[in-house]
Amino acid sequence: MPEARLPEQFRDLEQWIGWSLETEGERSDRRQASAMEDITAFYEAMLARMEEVLPYLEQFSLEELPDDAKRLFYLTLSLAEVAPAVEQFGQPSVVDGYDIKRFVASHR
Amino acid sequence: MSATPNGTPANGNGAAGGYKWHNKYPHLGTGPVPADVFTSQEQFELERERIFKKVWLNVGRVERIPNPGDYFVQDLAVCNTSVIVVRGKDGAVHAFHNMCSHRGNKIAWDQGGTCQNFTCKFHGWSYGLDGKLKFVPDEESFFDLKKETLGLTRVAVGVWEGFIFINVDPNPTETLQEYLGDLATGLEGYPFGEFSTTSTSWTSEVNANWKVIKDAFQEVYHIAFLHKRSIPDSFTSKDNPYAHSLDVTLYPRHGSMSLFGSADYKPSPVAKLAAQHGEIVIRSDFSADGLPAGVNPLRSEAWSLDLNVIFPAFFVDVSQGSYFTHQFMPIGVDKTLWTSTQYYTKATTPGRRFSQEYGNVIFRDIIMEDGRTFEETQSMLSSGAKKEFYLHDEEILVRHSHHVIDQMLTGQPVDRAFAANGKEAASHA
Repeated sequence: MPEARLPEQFRDLEQWIGWSLETEGERSDRRQASAMEDITAFYEAMLARMEEVLPYLEQFSLEELPDDAKRLFYLTLSLAEVAPAVEQFGQPSVVDGYDIKRFVASHR
Repeated sequence: MSATPNGTPANGNGAAGGYKWHNKYPHLGTGPVPADVFTSQEQFELERERIFKKVWLNVGRVERIPNPGDYFVQDLAVCNTSVIVVRGKDGAVHAFHNMCSHRGNKIAWDQGGTCQNFTCKFHGWSYGLDGKLKFVPDEESFFDLKKETLGLTRVAVGVWEGFIFINVDPNPTETLQEYLGDLATGLEGYPFGEFSTTSTSWTSEVNANWKVIKDAFQEVYHIAFLHKRSIPDSFTSKDNPYAHSLDVTLYPRHGSMSLFGSADYKPSPVAKLAAQHGEIVIRSDFSADGLPAGVNPLRSEAWSLDLNVIFPAFFVDVSQGSYFTHQFMPIGVDKTLWTSTQYYTKATTPGRRFSQEYGNVIFRDIIMEDGRTFEETQSMLSSGAKKEFYLHDEEILVRHSHHVIDQMLTGQPVDRAFAANGKEAASHA
């Protein structure tokens, strides 16, 4: 068994730990590189737990998140990243969109 | 031109449809705009000399250089220069051409940082944060060097509500405040500082004329079509299917458009979660508390955001809780550096940060839809197959922008008569 990386009550989300990414660039790259069925599975798994996840995270200030909570928090940011793919576009990239690889973020 | 109704549905604010903005600003006429203004090298050179080298250009915000010695470099290909913008020891913002007085080498080769002096890498000439030449290596071997006359060449700089503007004209004909005029007055008091404690920004070098990009962002006619997937119901409704705007205000060069926000908006599951923890752009609970008169000028309940287009190519688009900017810096006639930035109050809680990330991603993906049109349009403009384009009444900011550019390139006055009485001078009405 690998060491658990998420808070105990959210261990069911461990299989999505690959989406726990710190920067927008990393999250966007993963969305663009993923199959839609994987994105949708991640989206559904996260959405089902968000009513517990957000109150749990809100115990902490952003600057003082423990490591396991921080990994969980990064999963929520990836949910934000994939939301339009699932809710609006039905595909990883923006339908008929500009090439996102040419739209360079200067933030993290 | 008679002002008969054009058959469009009622406007979102309940007023009758039909030539609404033309009737408010009839001097702009109704004719088509020429197509070659997007591809003509001659036009571009005139825009460079008569517009970009003469007017105030936004180069960033003060939060980027909070402390003395903090600086950034703004390359301005359209003005044939690069500019250093620095916070001086006096606390004020200064700007200089990024060029050594000795033999012209570019002083700062990086994009920004913090320093005590600017030292040329070529022969070690060193300048203070005030631009004064402080040190010349082996000075005794020069002939009659008057160091006090050999500082960095100043560029006029002004700060409005935390936005830094420069003007490369050695003798600007008007101050920044005069240039921004009544548009600025209407926005003063908006919490730009509070909302600018964190930001997300993207840039892209686009193979398109700067006006192709600018025009795409200064009209709402495209919303129901280009954005039918991303925001199908935010700016349109059953009663306002074409996203007709609430209000338009034109200034001598700038323009504002107040956008309809739909009560039909149905948030997606993730949008609902985000809304529980912070601001998102489209809201249905508008409150005018604390907002200046220039924001949502009609005080409409059905309001989403305002576009404020500062001539020539800087947008300050304000909403409740956040705002965003677009900046289009020409590089060549068919090449432009596009920068979009969204500003927020810095999140201190994970929920708020999640909410902002959702807003961030939604904003980015929406403007990815806009972005696709830029190069697709430019790639066809060079065919010359079309000589002119026809503008909708809701495209009045596009019409106004082309009108102002044309006036500036042909040396006609655009200024004060318009400001004084809301109409342009009779000489070219």
